[in-house]
Amino acid sequence: MSAAPETIAKTTGLPLSGLKVADFSWFGAGPICGENLSSFGATVVRIESESHIDGIRIVAPFAAGKTGYNVSGFFNNFNAGKLGITININTERGHDIAMKLVAWCDVFLTNLTPRIIERWAMTYDDLRKVNPTIIAAYQPMQGLDGPHKDFMGFGAVLSPITGYNYLCGFPDRKPMGLGTNYPDYVINPGHTLVALLAALRYRKRTGKGQRIELAQLESSVAPLAPALMDFGSNGRVQTRIGNRHPQAAPHGAFRCKDLEAGTAKEDRWCTIAVFSDAEWATLVEAMGSPAWASDAKFATLDSRKAHEDELEAGISAWTAERTAEEVMALLQSKGIAAGVVQNGRDVLDNDEHLKARGYYVHLDHAEAGRTAYDGPPFRLSKTPGVLRSPAPLLGEHNEYVCKEILGMDDDEIAEALVEGALF
Amino acid sequence: MTDAALSDIRILDLAGEMGVYATKLLADLGADVIRIEPPAGDPLRAVGPFFGDIAAGDRSLSFFNLNTNKRSLTLDIASPEARPLFEKLAATADIVVETFPPGYLDALGLGYAGLCALRPDIILTSVTGFGQDGPHAGWKAYDITGVAMSGMMTLAGEREDPPNRPYGNQGYIGAGIQAAAGTMMALVHRDNTGTGQHVDVSMQEALSINQETAMQTWDMTKTVRQRTGGRPLPVDIPGIGVYEASDGHIFAYLGTPGGAPWPVALEWMVSEGKAEDLVDEPNKGLIEMLHLRFLTQLTSEPEKLPERLKILAHIHEVFGRFCASMSKWKLYEEGQKRRLMVGIVSTPEDLAKNPQLAYRKWFQEVPHDHLSSTVTYAGPPYRLSETPWSIARRPPLPGEHNAEIFKELAIPEPEIARLRGLGVV
Repeated sequence: MSAAPETIAKTTGLPLSGLKVADFSWFGAGPICGENLSSFGATVVRIESESHIDGIRIVAPFAAGKTGYNVSGFFNNFNAGKLGITININTERGHDIAMKLVAWCDVFLTNLTPRIIERWAMTYDDLRKVNPTIIAAYQPMQGLDGPHKDFMGFGAVLSPITGYNYLCGFPDRKPMGLGTNYPDYVINPGHTLVALLAALRYRKRTGKGQRIELAQLESSVAPLAPALMDFGSNGRVQTRIGNRHPQAAPHGAFRCKDLEAGTAKEDRWCTIAVFSDAEWATLVEAMGSPAWASDAKFATLDSRKAHEDELEAGISAWTAERTAEEVMALLQSKGIAAGVVQNGRDVLDNDEHLKARGYYVHLDHAEAGRTAYDGPPFRLSKTPGVLRSPAPLLGEHNEYVCKEILGMDDDEIAEALVEGALF
Repeated sequence: MTDAALSDIRILDLAGEMGVYATKLLADLGADVIRIEPPAGDPLRAVGPFFGDIAAGDRSLSFFNLNTNKRSLTLDIASPEARPLFEKLAATADIVVETFPPGYLDALGLGYAGLCALRPDIILTSVTGFGQDGPHAGWKAYDITGVAMSGMMTLAGEREDPPNRPYGNQGYIGAGIQAAAGTMMALVHRDNTGTGQHVDVSMQEALSINQETAMQTWDMTKTVRQRTGGRPLPVDIPGIGVYEASDGHIFAYLGTPGGAPWPVALEWMVSEGKAEDLVDEPNKGLIEMLHLRFLTQLTSEPEKLPERLKILAHIHEVFGRFCASMSKWKLYEEGQKRRLMVGIVSTPEDLAKNPQLAYRKWFQEVPHDHLSSTVTYAGPPYRLSETPWSIARRPPLPGEHNAEIFKELAIPEPEIARLRGLGVV
């Protein structure tokens, strides 16, 4: 059973209790921000349309043995705690309903393209006409103006455009990126959340709303500033350096004993990072002071950097004899920064620390069943965030939102249904 | 008239590299961030790259980047002699941000409880590898430790290579973003209720959602999602992935929703005289079917698979030759004009020359008087119409604002001289 809408709509005592959010976003960068607002108390209405489905509702993984729009773990993980309504904004009545939500909300959030925003007359100036103190956050791919304003993309295309592909990975490999739609998950939703909360307290102080424009291009490039500044100041074009680090050695992922999983073998890795000579001495001792490691050529950072291939070979020989978890536990017990390269199984089932902190949350979803969600990304001691309900089914709260939030009567709702506006 | 969103807020910045992006974000929104450095100077000042490639004389670009708009106070917070001064300062602060191992500040009497005694509504934001409690709370973490333990690193790289660490302390950046957001959330709560609190940011948890679907894939299907070298399928699908241009690389994702379909790319190849035999059957027929739904069908019709894979490999090669004949910028801009999902693989130099960033005047030139030069900075991650992001003040020299802050706190001159003599300021 999904939670009763009242549970989602009403909260008390959380930082954003009483805040009303109209979440017109889709895919990752917008919805994750909307979910965080919900987790800390806001009433978030997620607007979707069955005529133009959120692409990640049809992307794997799906709850075992289930099909349809409501069972994607990709979608559900970004939309917990929201009320879901489907509106076909291309219809006149659908547009009216959407604008009613604009009038109702404190915060408007979208990552739709500038073309669609203009077509639907949802620019900041348009919104302000019906809601003068609205805070409107736009997340266009490239910005609301400029020669590339209509360029398209999503995380996987944005990563190369913003420099991540060129700078990440091993130098002898193609610039393949991080294997995900990287900026969609923390960089862009997180930056948006910071900006929104800043706008919120400004509004509380002055009564004024404002427009937030987070160009995903700019938000994603910003964290790569040191490489940009190195080019700007020194003309140097930094490139991929793999897992090494200019101020540390050893620094990388070291292969450990394979995991025997039935007939298959799974490669296992543990990262080790040593920044100081004192840490190196500790690592040598933890490895049982093998003769090779006591060689003077490894004694200082500079000389370890000069013999890094040999250094890594020596450490790999030691880690290969042990499980990744043994390497990590032993080194951490001595104060060395070691961490297993964990996978989905490790973080969810085997990481005792994440379990003890209760980071992952299991929620009962009407169609997907009991599944795991990421918890709030930060913890507030007096007002901890909470996922108040699983992600909404497509159109699950159409009636509730129309009636209880927008005050539409049964006739209006029936007409909207007949006209295909609530679709 | 514009205003700053956080101009009424004072933050004491005790953060090391793991949390300093958070205080940068808040400083760039107008908070008065006082960076408290050890008397010997912030270790980050010794981290390259350096302006003009000269390490001496306070030229760390890494430090510059993360300390815009801040003031600097040199103070040894662990020294009992300096304690009264720090307490006086803490009483004026709204927020303290720190990255010490859990328990370190408590031992100094400056943990959350200690700070509350000085300022009852204070917000303390602690950023650590694994958070304030739990069995790994005391474990050590650098950036790579966090990206590994969060589950995001296992997804990056070629299958046969070690998992790839992302460039540029992305673990610290992610933790910093979540710390800034958590701090702002606590601030909104304080504005509403007058109550401060302790914000606990674990780098491991802060980055977890970067796993994309790996956690849910295990949860729902008991399958471990592995790195695939940037290829969504084990075979090369034409128009999906990294291609060589004449002067670098592009990344294409043709046939995905939102973008123009493959035949639009074919038309373009024809107009450039580079389509070779792709306009002939069976190539053309398969190109018309090349969209995401087809890819899922590929494996469901095994009898047609071998023949189709051969054609796909051929189309991939011809598209590769087409890309190799053109510059990355032309492929990007001409492709996007046709609404094809094509991205340039930007180098730092490409970003410096990016016409969109230039049009929007994104890069910032900040004068550095002590260098007799300006330094080029990365611009805003977001633009707020009423309370804009700005770099109003270059990063501070070590202890540059000691005198100013002592004056604000009305510390008598002899006391300052005494502390200076003890080497604690």
